[in-house]
Amino acid sequence: MIVQTTSESVTIETATEVRLFSAFAISATVWLLITTAAGLFASFEFTYPDIGSHSWLTFGRLRAIHTNGTFFGWATMALVGTSFWIAARASGTTLKYRTLAWAALWAFNLATVLGTLTLDAGWSNGSQEYREWIPAVTLVLVVAIVLSAIVVFRTIATRRGAEIYIANWYTMGGYIFISIIALVAIIPGYQTGIGQVAVQGFYIHNAVGMWFTFLGLGIIYYLLPKLLNRPIYSYALGVVGFWTQLLFYPMIGAHHFEFSPLPWWIQSLAVIFSIGMIVPVWSTVGNFYMTMRGQWSAITRSYAMPFVWVGIVCYFIGSTEGSIEAIRELQAIWHFTNFTVGHSHLTMYGFVSFIAWGGIYGLLPLATKKQPSLTAVGVHFWFATLGVLLYVISLSIAGTVQGMTWATGNPFIVSVANAQPFWLARAVAGSMMFVAHVVFAYNVWKMTLARSPQAVAPFAPIVAAA
Amino acid sequence: MKSVRTFSLASAGIFLIYALSMGVIPGIMLSATPPTPGLIDFTAQAKHGRDLYVGNGCTYCHTQQVRPLAQDKVWGRASVAGDYAYSSPELLGTERTGPDLTNVGARQSDVWEQIHLYNPRALVSQSIMPSYRWMYEEKDKAAPGDVVVPVPAAFAPAGKVVIASPDVLAITAYLHALKQAPLKAEAP
Repeated sequence: MIVQTTSESVTIETATEVRLFSAFAISATVWLLITTAAGLFASFEFTYPDIGSHSWLTFGRLRAIHTNGTFFGWATMALVGTSFWIAARASGTTLKYRTLAWAALWAFNLATVLGTLTLDAGWSNGSQEYREWIPAVTLVLVVAIVLSAIVVFRTIATRRGAEIYIANWYTMGGYIFISIIALVAIIPGYQTGIGQVAVQGFYIHNAVGMWFTFLGLGIIYYLLPKLLNRPIYSYALGVVGFWTQLLFYPMIGAHHFEFSPLPWWIQSLAVIFSIGMIVPVWSTVGNFYMTMRGQWSAITRSYAMPFVWVGIVCYFIGSTEGSIEAIRELQAIWHFTNFTVGHSHLTMYGFVSFIAWGGIYGLLPLATKKQPSLTAVGVHFWFATLGVLLYVISLSIAGTVQGMTWATGNPFIVSVANAQPFWLARAVAGSMMFVAHVVFAYNVWKMTLARSPQAVAPFAPIVAAA
Repeated sequence: MKSVRTFSLASAGIFLIYALSMGVIPGIMLSATPPTPGLIDFTAQAKHGRDLYVGNGCTYCHTQQVRPLAQDKVWGRASVAGDYAYSSPELLGTERTGPDLTNVGARQSDVWEQIHLYNPRALVSQSIMPSYRWMYEEKDKAAPGDVVVPVPAAFAPAGKVVIASPDVLAITAYLHALKQAPLKAEAP
């Protein structure tokens, strides 16, 4: 068995690669601020509905701006920029086709600008969740993804050594899958009425789990061995995780449409394979756990490790919750409620965003030789962690309350009134998360544009605990 | 794995099979579902209303899908595939922060909808639905042909009348058209 951490015997970091990594991190951070500000405002509209009585502030437009913007502006750009860095480092080479990488950055930004503006003007692609940007804008996004894929594949193809490191399996997989998913989503003409529901069921979940999850896991497979200075526990388990995720995950999308008029077999397969997802999730998390075992003190010794650790924990809890949540008896209560929104923040925020932060804190200082503020990293970590904890708990309770209120035959408005205190708690949680994002932006500035006396000092991601 | 090409072909091939069997082919086949007998297509005005419903994200809080569950009986009969034959984009929704609208045309009047869209709290005090005031005109005096909305005094702008714009009338027409066609098996 080949146990390989990273092929870093040859580390060639060109100035362009550093600038690219910085530019992707800065862009992603700007979009994090803009799109979570939209989400935060929307969360207060649940308690103060009259604050948004303007077309450009109305909940229905802000919600789509928030979801698409955090997906493609923030998370995608953060993960893509990091995946470029990792693809080259884990291949013992330099990034190839860097002009295309710059073009991808511009295309991602152009798509997010246009997507945000058109949604705010009331132009939506049929309110189809996470593909609300109109087709012309989505096309720009697809160009950005394909350009990024070319960069990554070319880089890995020119690696030193025969073996492709496991982190790059996940990265390459993500780019392949999102390209196919995007194609299925944007080809017009074959999706109408209930047929569109089938396509949406396929799209909505795969865009999350076959893209963000794969890029996120790729980062962990690179970052854990690097931060802990020891190889991943089992390379084989990583391979098993990859193929089982590919075999199980694409079947589960229709669990978003349980009890709908979609054919029963599609719904039943979705439930069965949702439960099957426990196999790749637990084997992957087990692999990470065994890698970290005995090294717990490392969590307190690095900027990045606390974020990676929370990311792995949320991946474990969030994915397991997703498997259980798909069971029909539970969906009968939780479907259509805020429980789903809590779940999506546990995974897209607790897992994906935390891993993106781990990747940026863990690798960007190595690239730019500039350190973030240790205090600010701590503030970011605790506000984001406690914020998302409160967020998920309050919406999980809100969803359960909504579902139970309906199941016990109350007038509908009672479910609105009963959820109200938890919506206020969610808005408080969202405020904490937003504070974390502002502090993160300060740190990104420190790690990139700021003049730093530390720039000349030898760099290391490990900082002594206070 | 030692070859980018082998890896890519294998994983793309497997995923493509899923994309076809779980996405594309069901999409094509189900798109051909015939309408439920008695289902009426939307008028041009109602379709414009549907575009506004989409553009303002109404579907993020309102489902259009009645499940075969006891708690959903209040919204109508369980939805069937043919109910959506004229509904593209599909607006089944995934969140029910507000009531289901599958059969709302049978529940509420046009005037109720016009007041409610202007300010939901004028009719339902605990509602958290946004106000769509910007779609209305507020004038000193109604002109001939204006559709005056009878907003309760406490919620109306002082000394002005509220006029429904063509957009408001279009949304109202769309909501009015959301009615379930009765299934034969359920006829009394």
